[in-house]
Amino acid sequence: MTINNENKNNGETASSAESSINLEASRRNFIFGSVAAAGLTVAPGMMLYQTANARSLSDFSLKDGASSKVRWGMLVNTTKEVDWNKCVEACNKEHGLGNEKDSRDDQKTQYIRVVDVKNKGTGYSMSLPVMCQHCENAPCVDVCPTGASMKRADGIVLVDRHRCIGCRYCMMACPYKARSFVHEVLTDQTENTPRGKGCVESCNMCVSRIDNGQEPACVEASEGAIIFGDLNDPETPIAKILAKHGGKQIRADLKLNPGVHYQGI
Amino acid sequence: MGLALIAGFSTANANQDGLGPKITLPENSEGKSCLFPSEQMRREHPDMLKHDRIQTLREGVRAQADGKVLDGSLKQCVNCHAIKDASNKFVRIDNEQHFCASCHKYAAVSIDCFQCHRDIPEGSGDFHALTNHKDVNYSNVAPGTYSLTTEDMANIAPEVISDDN
Repeated sequence: MTINNENKNNGETASSAESSINLEASRRNFIFGSVAAAGLTVAPGMMLYQTANARSLSDFSLKDGASSKVRWGMLVNTTKEVDWNKCVEACNKEHGLGNEKDSRDDQKTQYIRVVDVKNKGTGYSMSLPVMCQHCENAPCVDVCPTGASMKRADGIVLVDRHRCIGCRYCMMACPYKARSFVHEVLTDQTENTPRGKGCVESCNMCVSRIDNGQEPACVEASEGAIIFGDLNDPETPIAKILAKHGGKQIRADLKLNPGVHYQGI
Repeated sequence: MGLALIAGFSTANANQDGLGPKITLPENSEGKSCLFPSEQMRREHPDMLKHDRIQTLREGVRAQADGKVLDGSLKQCVNCHAIKDASNKFVRIDNEQHFCASCHKYAAVSIDCFQCHRDIPEGSGDFHALTNHKDVNYSNVAPGTYSLTTEDMANIAPEVISDDN
């Protein structure tokens, strides 16, 4: 994988990073606006959703599912001094990763890779988290022979393990090396991320969290360095920052139009 | 085959006359019902699950199952139908007391939902039943912890490591 690691405009992106901090206060609200903290009562004594920004049933996607009016995306600001391993840890905890016992390190599942890059000419080095880039024209979806590798209406690319036969064609097709294969019988999965032997898996942008009105786990752990939101709505902070300061997509030359954008690379 | 069997004893209490499987129902389930009456659930739950998995995963519909307001994920089924044994611990899928297994074992239905999905509610600890840990004695493991004794570790059979990548 080639990452454009030239150090141009570094000062400029650093100052733009500061301006984006101001938007952090509204980070909690930018997904679904300010929604009251009331849980959703399904039956007496039984609460389905208790998150701070839980949505009510009248909201669009709980009842109607993923909407193509929305395009979820992330903006990673690599100029911020953040330990990306915190995001990886949060990801592992959310999805119950890291419970392989017999796999080699290079076989173990990782949804987020922390990639270190260095410009040998200038000596400038940096690291960035690389997860599934949630491409608009995802090659993994193109090549999947069973329809297991799929793109949801709201732009999230994920694996339907009910249909995955473990052929690993998508792993070959992905230019971001985002996918992993489970080599062994797994134990103690989390209830929101069922995963098991013989299936390919990758970052699903914490789809069950999004469906419950929460941000992805890595975004929560990133201390504002990763911003999550709807790219289609020009009023969201992520769209505003992208419109004002721009962002880069990794391997934009492939014209896959990833939903994950980067600043400072 | 399994469905035909289930349909055969789907009238009222299947175990009344000692025939058919002994289906274990969760505690305090008296007077409660699932999405639909038991007869319908017994007959149609495979189709419902298949339908709901498409709705929840592929379409993102999380708050509606078969026209009713409910989380259509399998975790909702498991959370309601989890069975506790005499020592107040949730039983795994390899135990005949497990709600799914109580009928599926009788009807010789082998489905692999629980190779990926949790077979007991989250936070209740324990390893998954379909692994080589299943002979481990869990009685000394408190719910929510994963510490095993050396004796337990000795019971865990080593799995063959394959070299294919």
